[in-house]
Amino acid sequence: MIVEAGAWTQAAAVLGAGLCIGLGAIGAAVGEGRTAEAAAEAIARQPAAAHKVQRTMLVGQAVAESASIFALVVSVLLLFAARPSPSLLQAAALAAAGLCMGIGALGPGLGAGFAGATACTGIARHPKAATSVTTTMLVGQAVAQTPAIFALVLAFLLLFATPSQAGPLLPAAAALLAAAVSAGFAAVGSGVGSGLAAAAACDAVARRPRASGLLVRAMLVGQAVAQTPAIFGLLVAFLLLFARPGDSPLAPLPAASALLGAGIATGLSAVGPGLGAGVAAASACAATGRRPDLSASLLRTMLVGQAVSQSTSVYGLVVALLLLYVV
Amino acid sequence: MDAITEVAQWVLPVGGREVHLNATTLIMSWGVMAGLAAFGLAVSRRPALVPGPFQSVAELLVQVSRDLIAETLGKRGPRYFALILTLFVFILISNWLGMVPFLEEPTKDLNTTLVLAVIAFLTAQAAAVRAKGWRAYLKEYFQPFAFMFPLNVIGEAAKVVSMSFRLYGNVMGGSIIILVVSHLVHHLVLPPLLGAFFGLFVGTVQAFVFAMLTLTYISVALQE
Repeated sequence: MIVEAGAWTQAAAVLGAGLCIGLGAIGAAVGEGRTAEAAAEAIARQPAAAHKVQRTMLVGQAVAESASIFALVVSVLLLFAARPSPSLLQAAALAAAGLCMGIGALGPGLGAGFAGATACTGIARHPKAATSVTTTMLVGQAVAQTPAIFALVLAFLLLFATPSQAGPLLPAAAALLAAAVSAGFAAVGSGVGSGLAAAAACDAVARRPRASGLLVRAMLVGQAVAQTPAIFGLLVAFLLLFARPGDSPLAPLPAASALLGAGIATGLSAVGPGLGAGVAAASACAATGRRPDLSASLLRTMLVGQAVSQSTSVYGLVVALLLLYVV
Repeated sequence: MDAITEVAQWVLPVGGREVHLNATTLIMSWGVMAGLAAFGLAVSRRPALVPGPFQSVAELLVQVSRDLIAETLGKRGPRYFALILTLFVFILISNWLGMVPFLEEPTKDLNTTLVLAVIAFLTAQAAAVRAKGWRAYLKEYFQPFAFMFPLNVIGEAAKVVSMSFRLYGNVMGGSIIILVVSHLVHHLVLPPLLGAFFGLFVGTVQAFVFAMLTLTYISVALQE
C-alpha cells in the first residue's frame, strides 16, 4: 500500500507540474505579445521616443512574466521537493497545487500585458510623461498580479501543509481540488479586470500627467474592488482546506460533490464580477483623466456600480457556503 | 536538486522552547546592512566638492529618489524619504547578492520579505491615522457600505501578503531557474548570464516596484 501511495504521489506531482506551467504560460505570453505589438506600433508612430518605449516595454514584460515565473516555481517544487511520507491525500494536494497556480496565472499575466501595451502607446503620444507613465504601469501591474499571488499562497499551502486525513479519502481529496478550483478561477477575472484598470490609468496619465496622483488613486481603489471576487475565492479555498468532511452526515460521494460544487460555484462566479468591476474601474480612470475636477463623484459612481455588479459573485459565495455548511 | 527546499537553521533553546533562526538569511541580511552602512559612512564622512565615483552614485540616488517622492507626497515627502530609499536600496542589494557565487539573496526567504511588507504596511497605516485622526481612519473601513467592513479589512491585509509574496516569488523563481539550468548544462556559460538577467534586471525592477508600492500606499493613506 505504501508503494502504491508513493507511485500515486509521484504521478500527481508530475501531472500537476505539467498542468501548472502549461496553463501558467498562456496568459503572460499573450499579454507580453500584446505589449510588444503596442511597442512596435508606438515606435513606428514616434521614432524619436524609441528608447523610452523599448525600455518601458522590457520592464513591463518582465513584470507581466512574474505570473508565469510563479507557475514555474510551483512546477519545479512539484517535481523536485522531497516527500518523506507520501499518501493518497497528498497526491490529491499536489495535483490541486499545480491546477491552482496554472489557472491562477492566466488572468494576471494577460492583464499586466494590457497595462504594458497602453503604457507604450501612451509614451509615444507624450514622450515627456514617460517616467510617470512607467511608474503608473509598474504599480498597476504589480497590483494586478495580486490574484496570481493568492493562487501562489494556496499552492504553497497545498504543497507543504497537506492536512491529515480524517474520515474517507474521497471527500478529503475533493475538498483540496475544490480549493484549487476556487482560488484559481477566481484569480482569472480579477487579474484581467485589474489589468484593464491599470491600462486605462496608464493611458490617462499619458494624456494628463499632472493628474497622475488622482489617477493612481482611482486605479488602486478600482483594482482593490475588482479583486474582491479573488478574495472570495481565496476565502472559500481556506474554508475548504480546513473543512472537516469526515463529520458530514452525507455518504462520501455526495459529500465530495458538495465540496467540489462549493469550489466551482465560488471560482466560476468570480470570473465575471472581477472582469466587470475592472471594466468599471478602467472607465472611471479614463473619465478622471478627462475631468480631474469630478474625480470624487466619479469614484463614488464607480464604487456603487462595482458593488452592484459584484452581487453575482456574492450569490456564488452564498451557494458555496450553503454547500459547505448546510447541505 | 534537493537544495531547493533546504534551509540551514540555527536552533537556540530559549526558556525551554526552541527558537529556529534561518542562518543564511541572517548572515546575508546583516551583511547587506553592514555593506550599506559602510557605504553610507564612507560617502558622507568627507564629502568632496568634486564628487568621487562613490559620492556621485550616492548623490544621484538621493537626488532622483527625493524628487520622485516629493512629486508624489508633496511637502510630506521628507518624512518618508529615508524609509522608502532604505527599502529600495536594501532590497536592491539583497537581490543583486545572488549573482555573487556562494552568496544568497536574503529576499529569497519569505520571512525577510514578510517583515519588509509589514514595515511598509504599518507605515502607511500610521500615516493615515496621523493625517486624519482615528475617527476618520476607522470610518474608512465602513465605506462605501457598513457591511463591507470585513472585506475592507481583508483587502488591507492582502496588501501585506501580495507585497511579500511578489518579491519572494520573483527572487525565488530566478534562483530556481538558475539552479535548474545549472543542473542541466553543468555550470557552463549560461547560468551567469541568466544570473545577470534575474539578479540585475528582475531584481532591480522588483526592488523599484516594492518601493513604489510603499510610496503609493502612503500617498493614498494621506489623501482624504
